Amino acid sequence: MSEREKAMSELKTLATVWLDGCSGCHMSLLDMDERLIELSSQFQLVYSPLVDRKTFPEMVDVTLVEGAVASEDDLKKIRRIREHTRMLVSLGDCALTGNVSAMRNTCGPQPVYLRVYEQNVVQPQVPTVGVPALLDRVRPVHEVVPVDVFVPGCPPSADTIYQVLSELLAGHVPTLEGVAHFG
Amino acid sequence: MPRTIVIDPVTRLEGHGKITLELDEAGVVQDATFHVTQLRGFEKFCEGRPFYEMPNITARICGICPVSHLVASSKACDAILAVKIPPVAAHLRQVMNLAQLIQSHALSFFYLSSPDLLLGMDAPVEERSILHVAHSHPSIGADGVALRQFGQRIIELLAGRRIHPGWTVPGGVNEPLSAEKRDQIIGMIPAASAAIQRTLAWFKQSIEKFQAEIEVFANFPTLFMGLVDERGLAEYYDGALRFIDSEGNIIAGELNPANYADFIGEAVEPYTYMKFPYYKPLGYPGGTYRVGPLARLNLADRCDTPLADVEWREFRAMSPKPVLSSFHYHYARLIEMLHATEKIESLLADKAILDKHVRATASVNNLEGVGVAEAPRGTLIHHYKVDENGLITWANLVIATGHNNAAMNRGILQTARHYVQGEHVAEGMLNRVEAVVRTFDPCLSCSTHALGRMPLAVELRAPDGSLIREVRRG
Amino acid sequence: MQAGSGRFSRGGARMSAEPNVRTLTINGEEISARSDQSILEAAREHNVAIPTLCHLEGLSEVGACRLCLVEVKGARRLLPACVTQVQEGMEVTTHSPKIDRYRTMILELFFAERNHVCSVCVANGNCELQSLTLQLGMTHVEIPYQYPQLPVDASHPRFTVDHNRCVLCTRCVRVCSEIEGANTWGVMGRGATSLVITDLKQPWGDSETCTSCGKCVQVCPTGALFEKTSVGNKVRKHPEFLPYLRIMREGEQP
Repeated sequence: MSEREKAMSELKTLATVWLDGCSGCHMSLLDMDERLIELSSQFQLVYSPLVDRKTFPEMVDVTLVEGAVASEDDLKKIRRIREHTRMLVSLGDCALTGNVSAMRNTCGPQPVYLRVYEQNVVQPQVPTVGVPALLDRVRPVHEVVPVDVFVPGCPPSADTIYQVLSELLAGHVPTLEGVAHFG
Repeated sequence: MPRTIVIDPVTRLEGHGKITLELDEAGVVQDATFHVTQLRGFEKFCEGRPFYEMPNITARICGICPVSHLVASSKACDAILAVKIPPVAAHLRQVMNLAQLIQSHALSFFYLSSPDLLLGMDAPVEERSILHVAHSHPSIGADGVALRQFGQRIIELLAGRRIHPGWTVPGGVNEPLSAEKRDQIIGMIPAASAAIQRTLAWFKQSIEKFQAEIEVFANFPTLFMGLVDERGLAEYYDGALRFIDSEGNIIAGELNPANYADFIGEAVEPYTYMKFPYYKPLGYPGGTYRVGPLARLNLADRCDTPLADVEWREFRAMSPKPVLSSFHYHYARLIEMLHATEKIESLLADKAILDKHVRATASVNNLEGVGVAEAPRGTLIHHYKVDENGLITWANLVIATGHNNAAMNRGILQTARHYVQGEHVAEGMLNRVEAVVRTFDPCLSCSTHALGRMPLAVELRAPDGSLIREVRRG
Repeated sequence: MQAGSGRFSRGGARMSAEPNVRTLTINGEEISARSDQSILEAAREHNVAIPTLCHLEGLSEVGACRLCLVEVKGARRLLPACVTQVQEGMEVTTHSPKIDRYRTMILELFFAERNHVCSVCVANGNCELQSLTLQLGMTHVEIPYQYPQLPVDASHPRFTVDHNRCVLCTRCVRVCSEIEGANTWGVMGRGATSLVITDLKQPWGDSETCTSCGKCVQVCPTGALFEKTSVGNKVRKHPEFLPYLRIMREGEQP
């Protein structure tokens, strides 16, 4: 193994995922600006919308999850991620509380389908081919799988994310209780 | 024998989609489908909310372009209030809108597409990421980070935060701009402008490496649509809608955006949650049109800021008629970044930009309002109906990326037909099918990034379903 | 131990010849308090923090939110400090792992009971419920969210009430009754089906009693009551006028 390969293999592995969210938490992550590049010397980004790795690895040290669980796909995905992750971080209000993504819970998915696909369109129909069904209720991540770290915010600020990532990379488990709030 | 190839997930996109390719007996691609696999439901769950909450709520449609939604939504609310907002407020909203254009285009170009553009479509999978580019091409990586930061910093200085900046409100904006902040923004411009021009320089030189891709990346005739001002120049905040055909003829112009429903319809297909806007007089799917940077560069022959104008004309000189290859969305994006930077500078040069009266107040005076603006990816339309107390009774959102849906689907078919043939399927070929989608820079923020139970795999199956051969990547 | 709503009951023969001062311990520290003070008042006077929500300086106490629950030696249950009068020799504990856990649970119940979407709320950043999540260190809710369907009443020309954000603290009811005197706001229903209502559950804009003074909006701790022109993150509420108004109306010291 080369020196670089050896160094890489000792790095913590990091994954990021978005479920039913707006990607704002990922954008906030990128808002760390050059701090992201600096931090990247401490981790390997093994799975993320930003990289082309297509399979979730066998075991990841830290996975940041943005977004609520809203479809059958999300559900399968988050269960698989939990199984293959040591430290699961719910990132942002959608993952923590459902937030805006869960606003459809007061009416349920049927009125949504009706409004979007049957009114005011040509070829009205509800898409079902190659697309996952919506769950009856949009749910926060911890209602579906156990979560290790909760990071509130819509989105959490880049400073908060930097703090959380730095601590995780140093081997500590951060807590945002009393530090950050929803919204 | 006939088979299906599934590319799932499509990476380095905002949001998520998957692609299925249908091949016939001879191994020729007969059909290609781009599935958007998520649905948020904003148009429904906003019903019952007070209309003045809509900017803040619809901002959460997207974390990359919340400003676009804030602007279009605020404009729809202005129409419900029946106010003409103070001129300084319109200019301030424009500054934020343009800053977002810069940041979003920087994200698309550097963070998502630069691995392909710098390292090549066939580069090893593990190298195709911005983090690797930051190490292999440090100055380009630094430019990318700096340009995205430039746009975000302007938004932050105007609104107090970068993401979901609820400073744009019905009637105007929430706070005036201070002289200190204006000076800070102006101070950042020279470096940003230099970085964009540097990028244009190396990118233009690299275009010749992609002749094959340019030929087949969604390169076909379509209409183009976007906002233009009264001079027929690109307009990102106000203006009228214009449609041109692939020859460059204006087939419909000076259209009041508030009447969008007269000429834009939406169709549904069973295989994707994203709908298909189309130009009504030509029906669906004949009325397919493209929006966004490529369209905007095609709609106007030149622009009104000096440095960008030179680039603009050079771009248009590539073809006597509108540029048709979607590969050139990348090129157009860079030119728009330059134009936006210059535009911001000229807007801030006006002393009146510091005016204190930045918001008009009123109550419900119209039971309906439409707000239209150019988002980074294309024209964005917000349309609300309210009751007399201002509670939303109906909302219709035509999202920028949605206009490109039909073109994206045709585009992957065209690309796949060229690169996917016979039994052998190379990994770089699959990347190219994804790359054509990346040129559109779609904002599928409602969509997710699916996980591989079926990772990126090509499965060759016999008619009885038994697996003959499998090629995996990643 | 006595607990009661409104002004503290002063009945009982025991009270007739009482001295004005009571001595009690809070968290092990001996303090003196006036006989007519609540545990909450005594604690705050001695810089002992107890979280509250329905309490507001200048309004009567109701003990509605239960965030101020404290342990009192000898009592079988936790008692709400705002409506419990100090007694001689009382031993009060205001913070312990058990109390903290209950307080956090109460806060989670608030969030689960209705639809609190902080990110898009007019009070985001200026909300007492949100501040409590920081104070008590709550970052997520373990109790299943109820997602009730609740109305928004925007019929009043200047104000809106969004029941999704209401925590039934009844400050609006109390200020409208005790300070303005209009008695427009009331409460109907019970438990989870409770609702604050205007007049006889008529649209606020049709109310014949409302004076549009806006006091209810100023005292509302969340984004349930707000002015229509409030948008963005610039909402500020100013209930500081209350103690002053109270003095002027009733000649009482706050």
